[in-house]
Amino acid sequence: MQFVQVRSRAEALAALAEWGDDAQVLAGGTDIMLQCRRGQVAPGRLLHIEPLDELRRVEPAQPGARTSIGSLATHRQLSTHDSLRTCQPALAAASGMVGGWQTQSVGTLGGNIANASPAADCVAPLLVAEAQVTLASHDGERHMDLRDFMVGRRQTALQPHELITAIDMEPLPAGVGESYVKVGRRGAMDVAIVGIAARIGIDEGTVSLARVAMCSMGPVPLRVPGAEAALLESTLQAEDLDAAAEALVAAADPIDDARASARYRIRIVRGLLERAVDQCRMAS
Amino acid sequence: MTVGSSATRSDGEAKLRGDARFGVEIEAPGMLHARLLRASVAAAQIQSVDTSRARAMAGVADVITGADVANDRTGVLLNDIPLFAHDYVSYEGEPIAAVVADTAEIADRAVAAIDLQLSEQPPIATPAQALSPDARLVHPGCDTFTTTGAEWVRSGNVVAEVANTVDLGDAFERAHLVVEDTYSTPRQYQAYLEPKMALVSYEAGRYTVQVSHQFPFRVRDRLSQILEVPKSAVRVIGHHIGGGFGAKLDIGLEAYACILARRTGRPVKMVNTAAEEMLAAPCRANATITLRSAIAADGQILAQDVDVVFDSGAYANNGPALSSIPMFVYGSIYRATAVRVRTRCVYTNTAPTGAFRGVNGPYLVFALERHMDHIADELGLDRRQYRLDSLANDGDPMLNSQPMAGTAILREAFDEVERIAPWAECGSGQLRGVGLAATVWLTNPMPAHATVKLNEDGSLGVITAATDSGSGAVTTGVRQIAAEALGVDVEQVIVTMPDTDMAGYDAGSQGSRTTHVVGRAVHDATAEVRQGVVERAAQLLEASEDDLVVKNGQVHVAGVPATAVSLAQIANTATTAGQSISATASYATPSPPYDPACAPGMLFAAWPTPTYHAHLAEVSVDPVTGQVTVDRYVVAQDVGRAINPDAIRGQIQGGVAQGLGYALWERLDIDEGRYRQRSFETHGLPLACDVPAVESVLLEPGEEAGPYGAKGVAEPPIVPVGAAIANAVADAVGAPIDQLPITPEVVLDALERGRNG
Amino acid sequence: MEVEVTVRCTVNGAARELEVNPSAPLLNTLREDLYLTGTKVGCEEGECGACTVLIDGQPVDSCIYPTGAVEGREVRTVEGLSGPDAPLGLLQQAFLDNGAVQCGFCTPGLLMTLTALLEVDPQPAPDVIRRALDGNICRCTGYQQVIEAVVAAAGSAR
Repeated sequence: MQFVQVRSRAEALAALAEWGDDAQVLAGGTDIMLQCRRGQVAPGRLLHIEPLDELRRVEPAQPGARTSIGSLATHRQLSTHDSLRTCQPALAAASGMVGGWQTQSVGTLGGNIANASPAADCVAPLLVAEAQVTLASHDGERHMDLRDFMVGRRQTALQPHELITAIDMEPLPAGVGESYVKVGRRGAMDVAIVGIAARIGIDEGTVSLARVAMCSMGPVPLRVPGAEAALLESTLQAEDLDAAAEALVAAADPIDDARASARYRIRIVRGLLERAVDQCRMAS
Repeated sequence: MTVGSSATRSDGEAKLRGDARFGVEIEAPGMLHARLLRASVAAAQIQSVDTSRARAMAGVADVITGADVANDRTGVLLNDIPLFAHDYVSYEGEPIAAVVADTAEIADRAVAAIDLQLSEQPPIATPAQALSPDARLVHPGCDTFTTTGAEWVRSGNVVAEVANTVDLGDAFERAHLVVEDTYSTPRQYQAYLEPKMALVSYEAGRYTVQVSHQFPFRVRDRLSQILEVPKSAVRVIGHHIGGGFGAKLDIGLEAYACILARRTGRPVKMVNTAAEEMLAAPCRANATITLRSAIAADGQILAQDVDVVFDSGAYANNGPALSSIPMFVYGSIYRATAVRVRTRCVYTNTAPTGAFRGVNGPYLVFALERHMDHIADELGLDRRQYRLDSLANDGDPMLNSQPMAGTAILREAFDEVERIAPWAECGSGQLRGVGLAATVWLTNPMPAHATVKLNEDGSLGVITAATDSGSGAVTTGVRQIAAEALGVDVEQVIVTMPDTDMAGYDAGSQGSRTTHVVGRAVHDATAEVRQGVVERAAQLLEASEDDLVVKNGQVHVAGVPATAVSLAQIANTATTAGQSISATASYATPSPPYDPACAPGMLFAAWPTPTYHAHLAEVSVDPVTGQVTVDRYVVAQDVGRAINPDAIRGQIQGGVAQGLGYALWERLDIDEGRYRQRSFETHGLPLACDVPAVESVLLEPGEEAGPYGAKGVAEPPIVPVGAAIANAVADAVGAPIDQLPITPEVVLDALERGRNG
Repeated sequence: MEVEVTVRCTVNGAARELEVNPSAPLLNTLREDLYLTGTKVGCEEGECGACTVLIDGQPVDSCIYPTGAVEGREVRTVEGLSGPDAPLGLLQQAFLDNGAVQCGFCTPGLLMTLTALLEVDPQPAPDVIRRALDGNICRCTGYQQVIEAVVAAAGSAR
């Protein structure tokens, strides 16, 4: 396995153009290095892009603009970034829940997305922020809705010659609160058993904006339009939350695994959704 | 006085600098590296093992299988373990072959090149399966297995059965109330951070074995048994241990390394990976306990019928001895007129289980204390008061007829818990609960030997094979005892690492024995050294021995401090005269009185140097997720005499943390004989954010036989924890909790029952 | 076969040129090439933190971090907290005085994470200390005396 150090974005794209599938992009390595050791992946080349500071910029939104985050921004950076904690609080909170400090020091937002675990903590907050990914290649750039980018379990729409360079998101509008609630077993370090991100706007008691996404409830983290429809224009009564939770369960395809059963995951959705919504309410 | 002070540990600085060399760091020039081929299925017939490709690989020195070694089965009590699975595989992880090569990487590649043909069989995955009448035998030839000397009842898949014969009469017919409960508890992995290792050199007929091991003399004796050489042909040298908790009490990799070192003529090092450890560690056994009690209207237990079944895994290990432990947990601290106990230890196609701090105490006490809460609830009695009213008194016989002694200490423990955490104020509020649990635990009595010598600079050398796997029992406790006995600063006491050539027999760090048993031997030897010092000083100072004070590294005439001679001077004078001052002492705790006829095959026959414990837990339960938060944990522990309070506090905090993991978070589910959780991430060890600060009170009633009155400390803090937590959670949810771990799913189910019932 | 390259970095303040396979875990390089065996091999999956080192002041699990990634960067291990002839650092001394060391296998990893914490938060509250230790498992101590040691070290640094 060859370790290729690249010094610039251009160099990285040139390398990907040449090697494509045979090159595995390596940022912080917290997923890839483990997968290599376990024999789950065996790339011919590791393309080490971690030193590319140009892909690490965090630009919280100017008025009227979207938040832009470089794909190599680390979880530690995002969870401790003062402005981000104001304009993208769910993402900042989720970033602080990816493993412990050691993981967050080097683990990146781009890596969390590219790894495409069904339990990826950062993806659900990105989805409720209508995130888009920028995919760069030797040929240019294209943008893709994150919803469309997450194709399946451990599968994205990333082409072999492409690199995720940035993620941009809708900033949190005034009067809108958001949250990310994660359930593990211990107080930290657990892969999410269920995660729910919500972005709720309330206008004189009525929901004016409702975005809900969940992770670890199927092969891909996903937005649930049925839940959103149940909450939109409601006054967040118990029946509204019941309907939204039912929609989440209907959209879910959870499994039994070494951490929890499908039954448990479904069972806690209603209460967890209420918690997520309450946190949005308090924050808005 | 150093006894009673929190002296710092002698190995602390080296560990803090990163200089301390653990077993995994020991190297030898020219050493080769060996790795094992382990079975990846739980049960199978071995059709063939073809090692030819592995042997041919560059850098491979040798490959061995069951065909290359003696096939004799050996063990600690039952001779049932072969070095390699030969005809059949009996658990996932069982060694089938070993490769030794220039590097571990080459050895791993060679292992992968071994062609193993198996025909898988349906595994006997649970004790219930093993006990069913038409179950196949895990070991077809098991009724021909021999023992290492002791005898006990065993047959087929039942590795050991210990039962007392007690007539329960018509108690169940007469009873005001009959309460029956069945409890189930999981396997628990010790999760020490340093993997098992061995580094062996073979020269001129002797094996020198470098280990990181709690019981070096056991390694010596087991290697002697397996390799069929005299014990003196084996020398075991111990190094710093990165955690053991009972998993490093029997051999691991040592025998393979010995055989390969002899065959290759080179030193051979073997180290397990973290994954191998999780697969093959001798975990705390999973168990099922049924308790049926006949209760009088006033709460008296007229009769109690106990059935315990625990999973031996594929081999017996110490299971036959552990089968006696229920005889000490039941019919002890809580009075009951007649108690009948049957315990069975059963073979399955899973990794062999063994000792983990507290052995079967945690699940036996869990069952007992849950049952006590159940009885109290049925009778409408206060759970704490019911326990106090049921406490045994001195003289009440345990099930082996050993009279209870020191029960007043248990009452005091309850009182101390009450003082810190008044029962009436605890656990109040929605979804909050409080639980109590208590126990009497033993101090392992097995032998120790110590030589203490006065060095020429006045420092004290203590030579033992005792091990300190982190508790501080050697690096603080034993040192402080020696320092106290000779009136020197604790920094003046140097304790050796274990070396079976140089030190006398020591039974290792287990059952909290080191402070009490090794401490006693060290104390006695140091007292003799003190006597030698006094005699020599009397000559030097031309004074009477009775007039001399030994203090602060010197001896002076009482009332005349200027008339003094230093220990260094004394030592030098003595050595020059060919009369170096040193002394040797051995100790093993005499057995308390008991009736040997109480139950056949009771290999653990008595409960020596008992200590008493009361624990209280307060929890709150999240009604949405079912997660449990431990809000408060209180321990009152009888230690006899606290040699080092900080070290003891560390044992209590650490033992409780392990108990919390057992009760709430750690998972090692068994699916068709294989573990579901195979990594640290899914296993669920407690983190700093999960464990509260344990509030502990140490009771110091003294103990005549103990050094300065000290008894065993380190094992029992884990024993009542599962019980206290389960009682607290049951209180919080308003429904019984009959299993561990108390997962969020279990809690949600119980909350639902509590709402409906 | 794996190709070796030169990786230039500083390790415990000393400039180093490492001839290594850059894909090799940093942990292996530290232990085997530099004989810095204070950093331990624990779970080998980035969960237990026994392998924690500081890279440009940030705690990192070296068992899953490639050696090639430390090019041009500053690596600190437990051996760098004090010199062979120097007294123990404040944090190390506080560990010793507060009973925070038992078997000692997790200790170097704890020290590195906590050193990083004290560098960004010189007076951390107990809850902050606990959170900082999310990625460090200790099986022996139950953590409480570790937290007390950090509070004590922070106090004596003031």
